[in-house]
Amino acid sequence: MQKIYRTAFLLLLLTFAKPFASVAQDASKYKCMIQMTNYMGEGAYVVISLINGKGAYEKTLYVMGSDKQWYKTIKEWNKFYLKKPNVSAVTGASISGGDRSVKVIEIEKSKINAGYKLRFESAVEDKQYHVKDLEIPLTTEALAAKSEGSGYIRYVRFSPN
Amino acid sequence: MTISIWRYSHLALAISSFFLLILASVTGIILAFEPVSANLQPYRVKHFDELRLAETLPVLRTAYPGITELSVNSQGFVQIKGSDDEGQELTAYVDPRNGRVLGKPVPQSAFFQWVTALHRSLFLHETGRFFIGLTSFLLLLITISGTILLIQRQRGVRRFFSRIAKDDSAQYYHVVLGRLSLIPIILIALSGTYLSLVRFELIDVSKHSPEVDFDAIKSAPLRKTSEFEIFKTTKLSAVESIAFPFSTDVEDYYTLKLKTAEIAVNQVTGEVLARADYPKAVSFTNLSLDLHTGRANSIWAIVLAVASVNILVFIYTGFAITLKRRSSRTKNKFTAEESKFVILVGSENGSTFRFAKAIHNQLLKAGEKSFISEMNNYGAFPKAAHLIVVTATYGLGDPPTSAAKFKAMIEEYPQQQSIHYSVLGFGSKAYPEFCKFAYDVNYLLSAQAWALSATDIHTVNDKSPQEFSLWAEAWSQQSGVQVTVAPECYSGYAGKMEKLQTRSNYPETTLPGESFTVSLKMRKRLPVKSGDLMAIYPLNDHRERLYSIGVIDGEIRLNVKLHEGGIGSSFLRQLKAGQMLKARIIVNKHFHFPKGAPEVLMISNGTGIAPFLGMINENSKHKPCHLYCGFREHASYERYRAYLDDSKAQSKLLSLYPAFSRETTKQYVSDLIERDADFIANLLKRGGVIMICGSLAMLKDVMDILEGICQSQTGKGISFYQSHNQVLTDCY
Repeated sequence: MQKIYRTAFLLLLLTFAKPFASVAQDASKYKCMIQMTNYMGEGAYVVISLINGKGAYEKTLYVMGSDKQWYKTIKEWNKFYLKKPNVSAVTGASISGGDRSVKVIEIEKSKINAGYKLRFESAVEDKQYHVKDLEIPLTTEALAAKSEGSGYIRYVRFSPN
Repeated sequence: MTISIWRYSHLALAISSFFLLILASVTGIILAFEPVSANLQPYRVKHFDELRLAETLPVLRTAYPGITELSVNSQGFVQIKGSDDEGQELTAYVDPRNGRVLGKPVPQSAFFQWVTALHRSLFLHETGRFFIGLTSFLLLLITISGTILLIQRQRGVRRFFSRIAKDDSAQYYHVVLGRLSLIPIILIALSGTYLSLVRFELIDVSKHSPEVDFDAIKSAPLRKTSEFEIFKTTKLSAVESIAFPFSTDVEDYYTLKLKTAEIAVNQVTGEVLARADYPKAVSFTNLSLDLHTGRANSIWAIVLAVASVNILVFIYTGFAITLKRRSSRTKNKFTAEESKFVILVGSENGSTFRFAKAIHNQLLKAGEKSFISEMNNYGAFPKAAHLIVVTATYGLGDPPTSAAKFKAMIEEYPQQQSIHYSVLGFGSKAYPEFCKFAYDVNYLLSAQAWALSATDIHTVNDKSPQEFSLWAEAWSQQSGVQVTVAPECYSGYAGKMEKLQTRSNYPETTLPGESFTVSLKMRKRLPVKSGDLMAIYPLNDHRERLYSIGVIDGEIRLNVKLHEGGIGSSFLRQLKAGQMLKARIIVNKHFHFPKGAPEVLMISNGTGIAPFLGMINENSKHKPCHLYCGFREHASYERYRAYLDDSKAQSKLLSLYPAFSRETTKQYVSDLIERDADFIANLLKRGGVIMICGSLAMLKDVMDILEGICQSQTGKGISFYQSHNQVLTDCY
């Protein structure tokens, strides 16, 4: 009898725990702040991608810039995007010079401290394209620090959400 | 002539930019509706302009702990960004007073995005932006040159908004709309040009972030956000965006991006850490964006849309004017030196040229050597026998552009042989200085030793084919070359003829050189007045003969001089009472009894008395009328005497002065005019009207005397009174 109760309780627990588990245990959310430099020109298109240990694109975490006609200017990422064009869930507006943008990105816990990298790729209409405006190792330390960009991005900061 | 330079550049600029202008205008019209529809959203709260940051920031931070950014758009909508309690991204329009969500921002629709890109860059990126910027600059130049043309047309800046005579031409709409939409279009062009300069970094609008000294950041004293001095003094309406501190760490601060500066504010103490003022150019950029897009004000957006529609209308009417002007140009088959007929044209916009060209073509068709050119090309015409001057008048009685040099040239080139001249003035009576330049030219020519008058000066109001045909008839008779109203000037005379019945005719005893009177019965409602003309076709061919009509007691009276072998007078003489006659009535409005005039002085010789007899009959209001009539003998006068004495008794005629040229006291009607110089000068000063009907020779004598009287007693030439409709002539 006791066994049956225990099993039922366990099942009940699993039923409710399932949706939470995927969020609470497998992935965590980070607020990611991107501060742009005071460059002149149109709004920058910035893509945040998860890069695996082999240096290949694994997942698109965020696309800042909504007009698809400009995606081809973010050359490297665009190759990956053309294979898996489903990024509509993680798009937002492009960021202008001097502006700051705070986005919530979701990172699977298993990828942290596991040799993965976060890449910030940027392009501005009729201006230079930066394939690695910023690339940081996906480690606990890096997620706590302030990382300087090399192109249109001044710096990026994270904070657990 | 400077006007030509401006007109030329106006046209050249328009031609070089019209394609892109059409594109920019059409897309501009569409884009104007974006701010209009955006402004219809109810996201702007009441008293928005009064709200200060101290009242709204603490409220929003309490309501949304995850808020990271607040922005205020040009419509006064407050938008927040951040994350909600579950960590989901949050973007919403909120009420800044209580944080209530008002709505969700929708990204610019793909359609407007597409139109915007076309409007800004033609989908050609930098290249397209350059061309659009250039177009904008050209539009600015077009507007400036157009304004100068308009000022010249209106004869001065102060008369800029004075009335423009209405007609249906492309030119009228071009000018009237130009005046109305001048300011919005200048602003569109100016702001568009400025924004392009900014875009190409020719104007520095680079912003610098405030330099925060992190070592100097204090973490005490702790103040409430609502007590921060800077938040208490800054209005929400002055804000473009606010970045909230990324964390509670004291090194993270508020960044206020105002319209004119960027300010960093300590999130604990509320003190201003640093401030960076934007260059002035940033404010201009914002202003330009407001003006160019209408984003801040729906009404302005609509004004911009209307102005853009006007640009399209300008392009259409502008090219219509140009094509019309071009089509009037002509090439000469014969040179000025070899031509027997010389036609000189003073035309402002080419419509006058069309009529002149019609005359020219008819002369060529008749096998004559004819030369046509602008009046400015006046020169030596060694073979010329006839000179026809066809001219319009510009502005306040000035010569049109193509005739500006004429007066000087005529002194320079005295002709070696006698030339018959005829002046035909084109104009509109809607202007006060009707055909003044034509009158001036006529007077100028009459003073030249080589010039012989072929016809009296004729004027054509509003391109009236009837009035043109009056001249054509008169000139044809003198020159022996038939000129008619060409179909290209006048699409088909419907050919409606009146049937008139002869009531009485007294020709039996008439000898050649004497005159007789024909009375014709007309249908009751026939709109005919004394001074109108009757055209008959005695041989049923193109030959037309014109007679002045006097209407007396509902009958048409013609006074006809019998010419030996004259087809018109012979035809009329043989009419018997009761016989029917077909004729065309030509309304000759400029020679009707002047209703508005306080006093009328009539001068005639011979049968020229006919219209005056009718007018006197018409004068039931007993307006002071004076008749100076010349005849050869008493006998001719006798036929009118009873009627005139009777009119005098009825006060329809105030004074009557006959002159007889072949009696013992040889007197011409011009002698009477000279005698009464003071009276006549005073009459003109009072606004009285002088009407002259009779032979051209009489007209010339009378006009010479009138010119003398006017010059010495009123200080103005007779052409002044002519252009003010105070001297009306109908001579042959």
